[in-house]
Amino acid sequence: MRLPWREGLGVAPFFVFAALFLIVPTVSLLVGAFQDKDGGFTLDNIVRLWQPSILNSYKLSIEISVASALAGALAGFVLALAALRGGLPGWVRPTLMTFSGVASNFAGVPLAFAFMATLGRLGFVTLALRGLGVDIYAAGFNLFTFSGLTLTYCYFQIPLMTLVMAPAIEGLKREWSEAAETLGASHLQYWRMVALPVLWPSLAGAALLLFANAFGAVATAYALTGSFLNITPILLYAQIRGDVLHDPNLGYALALGMLVITGASNLGYLALRARSDRWLR
Amino acid sequence: MTIRNMIQTTVFGGVATLALIAGAQAAPEDLVAAAKAEGQLTVIALPRDWCGYGALLDSFKAKYGIKINELNPDGGSGDEVEAIKANKTNKGPQAPDVIDVGLSFGPSAKAEGLLQPYKVSTWGSIPDEAKDADGYWAGDYYGVLSFTVNADIVKTPPADWSDLGKPEYKSGVALAGDPRTSNQATMAVYAAGLAGGATDAAKAASDGLAAFAELNKKGNLVPAIGKAASLAQGSTPIVIFWDYNGLAARDAAKDNPKIDVIVPKSGVVAGVYVQAISAYAPHPNAAKLWLEHLYSDEGQIGWLKGYCHPIRFNDLVANKKVPAEALAKLPPAESYAKAKFPTLAEQAAAKEVIAKQWDSVVGATVAK
Amino acid sequence: MTRGRILAWGIMLAGTLYYLAPLIATFEFSLRMKRGVYSFEAYRVVFSNNQFQDAFLYSVVQALATIVVGAAIVAPTAYFVRLRLPRLRGLVEFITLLPLVVPAIVLVFGYIKLFSSSSYLPLTSTSLGADALLMFGYVALSLPYMYRAVDSSLSTIDVRTLTEAAESLGAGTATILLRVILPNIRSGILSGAFVSFAIVIGEFTFASLLDRPAFGPYLQLIGASRAYEPSALAMMAFALTWGCMGLMQAFSGGAHQTAKR
Repeated sequence: MRLPWREGLGVAPFFVFAALFLIVPTVSLLVGAFQDKDGGFTLDNIVRLWQPSILNSYKLSIEISVASALAGALAGFVLALAALRGGLPGWVRPTLMTFSGVASNFAGVPLAFAFMATLGRLGFVTLALRGLGVDIYAAGFNLFTFSGLTLTYCYFQIPLMTLVMAPAIEGLKREWSEAAETLGASHLQYWRMVALPVLWPSLAGAALLLFANAFGAVATAYALTGSFLNITPILLYAQIRGDVLHDPNLGYALALGMLVITGASNLGYLALRARSDRWLR
Repeated sequence: MTIRNMIQTTVFGGVATLALIAGAQAAPEDLVAAAKAEGQLTVIALPRDWCGYGALLDSFKAKYGIKINELNPDGGSGDEVEAIKANKTNKGPQAPDVIDVGLSFGPSAKAEGLLQPYKVSTWGSIPDEAKDADGYWAGDYYGVLSFTVNADIVKTPPADWSDLGKPEYKSGVALAGDPRTSNQATMAVYAAGLAGGATDAAKAASDGLAAFAELNKKGNLVPAIGKAASLAQGSTPIVIFWDYNGLAARDAAKDNPKIDVIVPKSGVVAGVYVQAISAYAPHPNAAKLWLEHLYSDEGQIGWLKGYCHPIRFNDLVANKKVPAEALAKLPPAESYAKAKFPTLAEQAAAKEVIAKQWDSVVGATVAK
Repeated sequence: MTRGRILAWGIMLAGTLYYLAPLIATFEFSLRMKRGVYSFEAYRVVFSNNQFQDAFLYSVVQALATIVVGAAIVAPTAYFVRLRLPRLRGLVEFITLLPLVVPAIVLVFGYIKLFSSSSYLPLTSTSLGADALLMFGYVALSLPYMYRAVDSSLSTIDVRTLTEAAESLGAGTATILLRVILPNIRSGILSGAFVSFAIVIGEFTFASLLDRPAFGPYLQLIGASRAYEPSALAMMAFALTWGCMGLMQAFSGGAHQTAKR
């Protein structure tokens, strides 16, 4: 395929930037995954990935990322719809958008602490509910679990979804809903047959973004459930940064595994998209 | 010889070589000039509240007028070593000149060729087992693991490791780090095992893991990383910190809440950190001057004021150089009498067991 | 009120409760510095450090530069991929996901090695060079979000028709991009800009290891091992960032006339 020069020039800045600031640093990571301590070539690090504890960590990471991506995508989409299409006063949209901007990056130690101060054993909401006679901890709730962490992750996943989907939702042309109405379609039919198929590629792309966002997130998990939930980024950090294990090459191999999983999800998303694109055309 | 013997010998040795040491206190003139010519020093992973580093950095700046670049105060020992490696060809202010790392990182960094040797003028009064014979690294301070307790929430503080399992401490105990990553947390597990009577490092490590598994099963262990904020807020009312971290938190809180720092009756483990100069340091003379500053009486007492026991502690005490108020603020000296200083081999053995088995023994099933 | 509107209000209420609860808890805790009374003592301590304004201003400038450069790189790329190079979509999108999965510390050490003082492009040895390097790092970090938002926005306009129409009127590519496409994707760029801004203000690892006086390292410096100051800082950073975004929103003017539907 001969690359048209004008378009090539148009995407050149991206690829030059990516080469210098993303690909080259990543390549050193990839190379390191196949090296041993002295720099010689080895497949040992990759082989070592196949231990139960590491495989479990990938499984857990995927589970948490999928859970928070799906929950965040659903909640974020619904929230965006409510704000943009719910007939609410004009100030709601900019307030939600700007708040979402800040909240999308509220993560790590401050977020973990905020949730501990809210839903921990002596948390603000916990105590308030206890005052109303409801003891959530007696009922089995615990912040320091998979569900607690997912709930915490949603704090930055939901606003991200809202922000990314807002332009697409606003792009839904008024004419379409009007046309559907005149043709006798119910609200539900409009959504099912017109709006959702149009939004579907953006929805899928956004969900993938949320998945990768959660997959690579480490600061929040570390601060909240540090030594307990064995997710891959924490293991990775333990090898690259920690005081104890410090085997950077294994850390790079772990990162390589994460890249492979991200790549695979990207391919899955592309396949889904190709199908929906065919439909749209 | 054990570290304890070494320290006792050093006390006598310190008295004997007092005259020599006194003469070598002041940093050599030409070093000061060379350092000033370089104009900058780059340090890494030094939080200002850790061992009173804030005051030491400021006093160095004030005394010599050398600018200090403080990189990544949040970093761990692994980060510091990686930073040296990443900056091998870089002479900019991103390249660390000196590092302050856990004991086991000294020899490993030396083996990787990342350090350059320098023996400070007070080298003689540093215990032999806490320094590298060729001068590549030297112990700088130590502390022991303690229970840092929010006294407003916890009415009767635990006195020993075995107390932690009591029902009154349900959801109360937290480590200050991840035992797979952080030295502080790993040593806590090791200490719990020592308290149970084990002497062999690997056995103490697995005993410690079993103890923590028990704590977890009882619901006493909180998985979050304990910090000053969560200690004060109440989600982690008991945190296992190095005593200097606990005492710094106590001071910062100013009685709101009231914080107690308790050295356990048994299983008292001391952790030594070591100071070293990077082989690729862009400002080697400033680095050497910094080391002179840290190992001078003034510098060592600066660490003491930050609640760390400086490596030349016994020497300073013998020469009556320590201000009484500073001594009074530390936990009682008897608590330190039984302190165990794990050797490099013991630390490595313990870490091996704890880091690898923590997940399976303690964190096994994750509640959904 | 129509059923739809009640539902919308209900959803907004639920969302508001979820978003505000942790913030209220953090705020309440930050007021507890003085024993027994609520006071702004923690905030006073934080403000008394005079580096605050400099650090914040530095990060704001970096954030604005990041947004401009990021949008300039992303918008044409998303446009061309959609219009003429659909085969590159997979590769481009995978690249935009890289910053999410590759640890920041690996990236920054990679930059230091690549642009060290003895390399072809010694960005680390000068202050301005290090600033530029930091900005490019920020662009990399915000790339996933900027790309996704802009692409989402592009999906709603008929790029092909617009381009053909503009070309038939004699417009060159640059004109099409600047005067036809860009105005239509403003809301996407604005969304991406919000996330980028928040990322830059809060970012710590890059700024600290490149030795730059940004807000992130400042937050660490003040709040690291304290009890109440971190909460006060979190609140202030949140409020300030939100305020800045409000300003950005105001300046972007008619980016969403569509809202009035």
